[in-house]
Amino acid sequence: MKHGISFEMVDLHHQEPNRNVRESKYFWDELYTLVSASGFQYIEIPYEPKWDFGGRSGIPLTNRSITVKFQNAKNYLAQLNQAGIKGMVGIHLDPSIFLGENLAMFFSATNHYGTEAIDFASKIGADFLTLTATPPIGALHTVCPKDTSWDDFVKAFLQKTAGLINGLADYAAQKGVKLCLKNEYWTLLRGKEVVPFIKSLQTKVFLDIDTANLKITGVDPADLVAENADLIGCVHFTDTSFVDDAEYYKQPMPEFPDGRATQVFKDIGQGEVDFPKVLAALKKIKYKGTIVFNCRQTRDICRALLRTRYYIDNKLTASDKEWR
Amino acid sequence: MSNIKLSHMSHWKTIPYKKIDNFRNFYYEDKRNGAYYSDWDRILRYHFATGYEGIEVAPWDMAEMMALFGTPQNFSSFAKERGVSVSGMFHGADNSHIAEKFDEVLESGKRAVNLLEAFGGKHLNTCPCNNYCEVGPLSREQTRNAAKVITEIGRYAVDHGVQIGLHNEFFCAINKENHREFIELTDPRYVFYCLDTAQIAIIGEDMVKFYDDYHERINTFHLKDTASPKLPDEIRYSKDIEIVDDGTRWFWEPGEGVLDFKGLWELMKKYQFKGWVTVETDGTPDLLASMALTSYYVKHELAAIYS
Repeated sequence: MKHGISFEMVDLHHQEPNRNVRESKYFWDELYTLVSASGFQYIEIPYEPKWDFGGRSGIPLTNRSITVKFQNAKNYLAQLNQAGIKGMVGIHLDPSIFLGENLAMFFSATNHYGTEAIDFASKIGADFLTLTATPPIGALHTVCPKDTSWDDFVKAFLQKTAGLINGLADYAAQKGVKLCLKNEYWTLLRGKEVVPFIKSLQTKVFLDIDTANLKITGVDPADLVAENADLIGCVHFTDTSFVDDAEYYKQPMPEFPDGRATQVFKDIGQGEVDFPKVLAALKKIKYKGTIVFNCRQTRDICRALLRTRYYIDNKLTASDKEWR
Repeated sequence: MSNIKLSHMSHWKTIPYKKIDNFRNFYYEDKRNGAYYSDWDRILRYHFATGYEGIEVAPWDMAEMMALFGTPQNFSSFAKERGVSVSGMFHGADNSHIAEKFDEVLESGKRAVNLLEAFGGKHLNTCPCNNYCEVGPLSREQTRNAAKVITEIGRYAVDHGVQIGLHNEFFCAINKENHREFIELTDPRYVFYCLDTAQIAIIGEDMVKFYDDYHERINTFHLKDTASPKLPDEIRYSKDIEIVDDGTRWFWEPGEGVLDFKGLWELMKKYQFKGWVTVETDGTPDLLASMALTSYYVKHELAAIYS
């Protein structure tokens, strides 16, 4: 079982002192060596076209930025290799940034950048593209037309989503990339809802097991693993101690619960997800894919890397010869 | 009452909360400073506490701001309760050099005017055309196309109590060889100028002389310093040069670079400038420190000349 680390630990979207350095290439060039030094040989990136619009090509999170700085994916991979990273295993695309009142534009942009991300995944040798299933429920409420009932809107939105995903999955299969669906706790397909949706699709689409997101919806990730062995395309180990006891998932910005400021996603080992149980379930189904550790929302990238490494070596796999 | 009102351009990135009531608990989660940069309530209080009466909002923050506040009016009321007004907003008039895009660019400009009007702001600081590395050099016809559509946006703006101020970035297609021509091609009744002190110096202008030449058009400022005036063409026109690979900064707090702000202030006194001066601290590792440093410089070094 391969394991890697997600670059979603690098928060570019929110303010804090020294955030600006993350827009320059030198920051990332050094980050690769820190990732390697903390024992990770594989990475996943969030695919963020937002930075293309502002010419922020120092941020290596799109095909454009990597082409501007490295000419092509092969050269970028060589730089990763030089730093001790063997490769990029996956890419995550969250199309929520394209959501606006013009839903046709949302689906068109998602298709455009989804296709682009698949092409990039293929070029760089990534195994999977995981796509956030839908924008947040609260954000969708703001674009639901006044003359349409919420139920009708959701039904139509999911139908269009299914059509979009069928097309992307076909294309991904041609390119040798697995298309997975990530169901954050705020999406229309939260928790187990994603499973029947995937099964209803006309193309082969895979399930992304994201532990913290599942736990927040009340689903035991180990159970979901056991129930859906043949559907799993990728696994994300994310941690949390957040309990959504006031339907925060329905808010427009659910990752930042209004009225109860908190860090929803904790560094690995700092929350309450039972990772050994999930790992045991994965072994039981003989999962051969990658586990990507994701310290989204971390307050300190280096600490997140080392906390994760400590947890893996000393808590998760201390007596696990197979892992080593 | 002061002739100069200080505003601050919002480069805070996404502020995820409107107001954090459980501040102490949030802080104790990790005992670091993240909690101090996570809600508009505190960000706006920092503005007022460091001497800023205004904030220039950024269009790229709108989705999250509207998710938190619902309407521009709600944001403005919230800010006003903390002693801060919306002075303006930035607007990028991409593709304004393309004649066939006239209607699209005008409509986008009108939407920006309407949005700023809803915030109660005055200055729509507008960057014409795209980056030089993408579309430059512009032909004279393309420059005229841009001036034409910018004038139309300006006419609409004036009708709505808003003033557009041309804002040249040092890496944009309106640059050293055509920006004075561009200003002359726009209608002075409708199109004003936001003098970004560092950008104009990096392009190659003497910032103080530029103000002297165009003081009648200049209705507001973006105030920042630079240590890199008269940057060579091959650097300004290179791809994605705003953020440099090795972390080199183009912009510094006034007093930390090389520009002659005292000379500028003498002219502002001569021409009796009255209005918003917006401090812009893009590129800083610490927005709050830069706000405080700049405020100190303006109020203690420059105010003796003119305030």
